Amino acid sequence: MALTFARLKLRVLRNGFRGRSTKVVMFVLGLVGAVVYGGFAALAAAAAVASDSPAAAALVPAFGGAALVLGWLFLPLVWFGVDETLEPGRFALLPLPRRDLVRGLLVAALLGVPAAATLLASSGLAIGAALRGGPLPGLVAALGVLLGLLLCVVLSRAVTSAFSRALRARRTRDLAAVLLAVLAASLGPIQLMITNSAQHVGTGRLVAVADVLGWTPLAAPYVVGVDALDGRWAAAGARLALTVLTILLLMWWWAGSLESAMLAAPGGGGAVRTRAASGTPVARFLGARRPRTQYGALVARELKYWGRDVRRRASLITFAVIAVFLPVVTNLGSQGGQGAVAQNVHGFSMVIVGALAGLGIANQFGYDGTAYAAHVVTGVPGRIELRARVVAYSWIIVPILAALAVLNAVLREDLSLLPVMAGTLFAAYGTGLACATHVSVWAAYALPENQNPFAVNTGSGMVKSLLAMAAWLAGMVLALPVLLLVLFGGAVGAALALPAGLAYAVAAVWLGVVTAGDVLDHRQPELLAAITPRN
Amino acid sequence: MTVDSAFALQGLVKTFDGKVAVDGVDLAVPAGSFFGLLGPNGAGKTTTLSMAVGLLRPDAGRALVLGHDVWHDPVRAKSLIGVMPDGVRLFDRLDGTELLTYQGLLRGMAPEVIDARVTELLDVLALTDAGRTLVVDYSAGMKKKIALACALLHAPRLLVLDEPFEAVDPVSGATIRDILTRYVAGGGTVIFSSHVLEVVERLCSHVAIMAAGRIRTVGTLDEVRGQRTLEEAFVEVVGGRTATGAELSWL
Repeated sequence: MALTFARLKLRVLRNGFRGRSTKVVMFVLGLVGAVVYGGFAALAAAAAVASDSPAAAALVPAFGGAALVLGWLFLPLVWFGVDETLEPGRFALLPLPRRDLVRGLLVAALLGVPAAATLLASSGLAIGAALRGGPLPGLVAALGVLLGLLLCVVLSRAVTSAFSRALRARRTRDLAAVLLAVLAASLGPIQLMITNSAQHVGTGRLVAVADVLGWTPLAAPYVVGVDALDGRWAAAGARLALTVLTILLLMWWWAGSLESAMLAAPGGGGAVRTRAASGTPVARFLGARRPRTQYGALVARELKYWGRDVRRRASLITFAVIAVFLPVVTNLGSQGGQGAVAQNVHGFSMVIVGALAGLGIANQFGYDGTAYAAHVVTGVPGRIELRARVVAYSWIIVPILAALAVLNAVLREDLSLLPVMAGTLFAAYGTGLACATHVSVWAAYALPENQNPFAVNTGSGMVKSLLAMAAWLAGMVLALPVLLLVLFGGAVGAALALPAGLAYAVAAVWLGVVTAGDVLDHRQPELLAAITPRN
Repeated sequence: MTVDSAFALQGLVKTFDGKVAVDGVDLAVPAGSFFGLLGPNGAGKTTTLSMAVGLLRPDAGRALVLGHDVWHDPVRAKSLIGVMPDGVRLFDRLDGTELLTYQGLLRGMAPEVIDARVTELLDVLALTDAGRTLVVDYSAGMKKKIALACALLHAPRLLVLDEPFEAVDPVSGATIRDILTRYVAGGGTVIFSSHVLEVVERLCSHVAIMAAGRIRTVGTLDEVRGQRTLEEAFVEVVGGRTATGAELSWL
């Protein structure tokens, strides 16, 4: 049965590539990247385990393994999405026992570039153990590595599945959002603790931390090789048992949320009703002050969609989490630093976050899917369309960004930094928006029409990441003039930062909307074709 | 271009990945006609209509709405047609009232007109009871009706409907038929695709039969069916196997 699922997954993958050369190129690029990074990691791991340094042998497997597991936990949620080539809902009608289904889906999930890269990277642990201690420790380490891979994959599936369920339901979606935020935000202090202890307390304390990590599912499967090398067989057995137990629990959890995903009607979100409001249809739709025009209608609809569409909600939440997490960590961490660059780390972090905020609309048309046909049929002018979308998105994002600037200024205990931070932040948001607007017109891609807001089509996770990276980078580079003004402008620069940043942002967005809007006027049918899912 | 054609397709061609979906379609829809576009699954009906309303760029050919080219003068042409595409989602995270209001505003209609027409349309199509339920939670038939309402809202001169009677229950079907008949009686033109031959036979003044990307027969209903029923004419034009009774004996 598991074999059937594996063959099915490979077949779907292969058919997806047929006649689509860009997809193949992206896939190969991803593969090359995976081999290079995985290979390096494997070499490092093997070297650490095989070396004579007890500290390296204790630290590398524990921290490397924990990083790997945490990466599998968070990256699908915040960046890559999950490849639901074999969407669980499609198996709802087949007479499959749940146990077979879960096992089959797990096998299918294991067949992919990320899993292969993980296996390659962690294989270094087994190689190192075998080099140093011979075949038996090597074998134990290899078993740990395999179980670790299984743990990673099951963990990411179970968590994304549970989160997508929680985000679907109105009742629990806010709770889920907060939970996700807290989880991700808690990574910050942990990382801080580690870097601080690395700098100040030396390796002795770190080894203690590694020791604790080794007894959690995060690192347990990856340290058994070292146990075997040192002859601690009981410990190795206990850790393997702990891992297996965790995997079983996660599979049980996953199976539970799978069941509900299969039962839910495709596309639906439970009988949701809009809030009661009085007045005529137009007044109810637009509110009192929005203009009674195409533009007003587009803004109103976009705002409703950012609140009602699960995918959009998920992307907003993800951004908010990263936006809080990233600068807070850099700002807290860099307090002791010296020199112009260290002093201005907050400026860099603002640029990074600002440009990232703009990325939220990089696939704005993909969110709409074929519903966009209504705009094509009515012939909505490109500039109006894009201006409305940018404005609606900014209604939501700008307050978050403003709060962020305040939060970081407070954390630096220097409110005079506020205009500088806000200036660079908004400048980068403007350039990021301008780039993302173009990406959304030129390189939209279809999202699967299913329930999981984290799901992407096979291969588009890679495309998505590359394009987003490019737009992000471009947004940051374009915002450099404002950052340079702040860095080298002294008191004048600081005073000018906020007005200059805002003006720069407005100019960038205007330019982006006008140029991309003209392109859109000639690309409407092609854009519609690009965001139509192929079934 | 003669004036009495409300809708004219000239030499439309579309190829997908080397496979020809529409192979040179010419069609003239007379003003005031109720035009049925028939064809088996995969004949290219949806592709043809998509190219005709500006949703899909043709490889070759033109589409004219009351003399305006859909691909060269899209603003004018698109303002004259109401479209109900098939297999396309609506902005379904809005409720029915919101969706129609949105559509009206996109069409640049005056707010008072929108208010009046939205209420009336929802009433006639028996969608008022759905109230504030999101369109995504509508049944298939209700979705068809709200999509039709979107196409009708700005009182276009020409209606292009792709499979308007699919998944519609008899009561709703009768409502839709009534509305369309009245619309044509008032001087509008309707072209719709279907493979429900009974409906076509009952409603249409003109019929075209498509197969394998080409128009096989076109004319008034009586010209096309002659002495036969429409079904016999359809099967004869399209060609296809007739069951001998020997196969599937295990059923």
